[in-house]
Amino acid sequence: MCGIAGFTIPQGLPAAARRERYGERGRAMVASLFHRGPDAQRVSLLDGAVLGHARLSIVDLAQGHQPMCDPETGVAVAFNGEIFNWLELKASLPGYRFRTTSDTEVLLAAFLARGIDCVKDFVGQFAFAVWDPRDATLWLARDRVGIRPLYLARTGEGVAFASEAKALFAGGWLAPRLDERGVVDAVHLWAPMTPRTQFDGVEALPPAHVACVKDGVVTQRRYWALDLSDGNVRRDLSMDEAKEAVRAVLDDAVTLRLRADVPVAAYLSGGLDSSLICALAQRRLGGTLQTFSVGFAQARYDERAFQQEVATALGTTHHVVEVQDADVGALLPEVVWHGEQVLVRSAPGPFLALSRLVRQHRTKVVLTGEGADEVFLGYDLYKETKVRQFWARQPRSPHRPRLFARLYPYLPLSQQSPEVLRDFFGIGLEHPEAFDFSHQVRWTNTGRVARFFSKDFAARVAAYDVTEAVRAQLPPEVQGWRPLARAQALEMATLLSGYLLSAQGDRMLMGNSVEGRFPFLDHRVIEAAARLPDRVKLDGLEEKAVLKRLARGLVPDDVLARPKFPYRAPIAEALVGPSAPEWCRALLTKPAVDATGVFDGGKVEKLVAKLAKATAAPSEADNMALVAVATTELLAHQFIHAPRAVPQAHLDAVSVEDGAVPAGGRG
Amino acid sequence: MSTPRERLRGFIADTFFVDDFQDGDSFLRNRIIDSTGMMELVAFLESDFHVKVADAELVPENLDSIDNLVAFLAKKGVA
Repeated sequence: MCGIAGFTIPQGLPAAARRERYGERGRAMVASLFHRGPDAQRVSLLDGAVLGHARLSIVDLAQGHQPMCDPETGVAVAFNGEIFNWLELKASLPGYRFRTTSDTEVLLAAFLARGIDCVKDFVGQFAFAVWDPRDATLWLARDRVGIRPLYLARTGEGVAFASEAKALFAGGWLAPRLDERGVVDAVHLWAPMTPRTQFDGVEALPPAHVACVKDGVVTQRRYWALDLSDGNVRRDLSMDEAKEAVRAVLDDAVTLRLRADVPVAAYLSGGLDSSLICALAQRRLGGTLQTFSVGFAQARYDERAFQQEVATALGTTHHVVEVQDADVGALLPEVVWHGEQVLVRSAPGPFLALSRLVRQHRTKVVLTGEGADEVFLGYDLYKETKVRQFWARQPRSPHRPRLFARLYPYLPLSQQSPEVLRDFFGIGLEHPEAFDFSHQVRWTNTGRVARFFSKDFAARVAAYDVTEAVRAQLPPEVQGWRPLARAQALEMATLLSGYLLSAQGDRMLMGNSVEGRFPFLDHRVIEAAARLPDRVKLDGLEEKAVLKRLARGLVPDDVLARPKFPYRAPIAEALVGPSAPEWCRALLTKPAVDATGVFDGGKVEKLVAKLAKATAAPSEADNMALVAVATTELLAHQFIHAPRAVPQAHLDAVSVEDGAVPAGGRG
Repeated sequence: MSTPRERLRGFIADTFFVDDFQDGDSFLRNRIIDSTGMMELVAFLESDFHVKVADAELVPENLDSIDNLVAFLAKKGVA
């Protein structure tokens, strides 16, 4: 896993002119991604494009140098990620003479054999750029669910791309400015809606898409889509048959992800998903698995007892980092620097502390349980959709809304009045066919953050419709699916790729040069789960039923029996009051907030004052608003008002060369 | 001395950061106040208006808009 960057340049320039005009821009871009690839950094000045690469060596440590080119055609690649089935692919490409044992060369060979459609054969997590000098085309591609990031900017000088937006700024392709609509997205959907990002002019290549850049024009197309339609479901499947189907494909997904020339460890949250992954991995590894966990000093967030129970049962070598309230505040500037987005939760920070712990144990690859909740219907959101759908059939029923009291027993008023439940959960009940039916309650609740917008900002974004922005990104057939399937498609397109895999995933891992691997997000697992009837995934109101069956005997019974425990981290107690870091006192003031212009400085000061009281009981809305304001101010501060410079040592480390490394050539 | 209506409106604006709403608007339906906020509201009624709110009175007809609150307080003898 690594970082990539590059841009198109005019063809036919002499090498010296290329170096003079573009060498330092390429160097700055790659240097800004040093954290993603501390093992080697290289820029290749090609005739028509510049490719850059920062390498985290995991496969073929000696020979997998990048950017790599095929000596015969000159086709060159800069590749971030993993193609886990590269050994099988290699065997299917007899026409190519392999010179290395690296997966990067397999990508090159597959591209030469099939063109960009080679991505359809890849089982993996990847973002890559291929320069094909034969037709002067730059190809960009991103994996099916958006595990690896890829951004681009269309500029007057050419098209630039990079693993993180900061590289586009470092290369001087555009100046960082907040995308105001992206901010509106973030305070409703938890993340900007692809292709929008938090920065004006920086676009994300959507997951499951390839882009073709030719003569300065970018054309994109989707190469994979998940079919969640009724027609794809094997209705007659029994729970036992479903369990066996999942076991086979998930076990293979784990096995493929243990392929590496360095040790592979795992994250362990103490819940079902990561425990199951750890159990499957430990069986394959024969007892050498290392596990890593976050513990919280505050008991209400802490899961250490369950983590320890699983680690003991599986016989793993277990490591824990304990996170204090103050750590969450102290980590937030780094979280925003790496994550490059506005947040409504503080939960990514502890993952940055966790990847640091992994790195301290000289480990650079971890498996995680991410994705199971999306793929196997684990979230409360799916239950809520099911109850709302049931209720919508008899909207006047006084009994049906009472199911929410069962679903959310911790809501203090929920037991008391069906009218309250109706007001809170009954949004859009008259239109259960609405495309966003499943997400209306969450998006409306999160959207309360918008009340903190400044008057000017609110006026500028008043006409922007978040729901329409989401709809435009989903394949049109989604509208015709059943509500649970629509909910799943929306969840994967917004929260999963936009937040969990990026701000809380890739960026928090790569911030300490650690690669995450996600067996539940193997597209074969996702497709197998899509063929299962909903009843084996969400059995009544029991989530992930088939995974629980599968985990019996592999994972301690206590873990299977415990109610789902949402992963969260402290907010108000971390950002206000005695534990608050110095930067909060500087940035969460009326003048600072007003200067950025997104939020109303007066309201923010009142919010901080309210939460600072010893008797404060922060509501969900207060907490989300506080994180949204803090991360917006941190983003503006670190990227716009006082941008961080790329360290000289990182600039010096980059090797700028007049061509790519021929496969099997010098390192 | 400001009226209960004005004091309630001031409390809502200062505590929940919303001021562009009508006196008849439902707090819950319009996401002005959530369930945590309802507890804050009840605490405010008890401390500032010196009324006791029984569990059975924690219903939207009493609490879910400025109009409902004013009527509820009137029943409790606050005008």
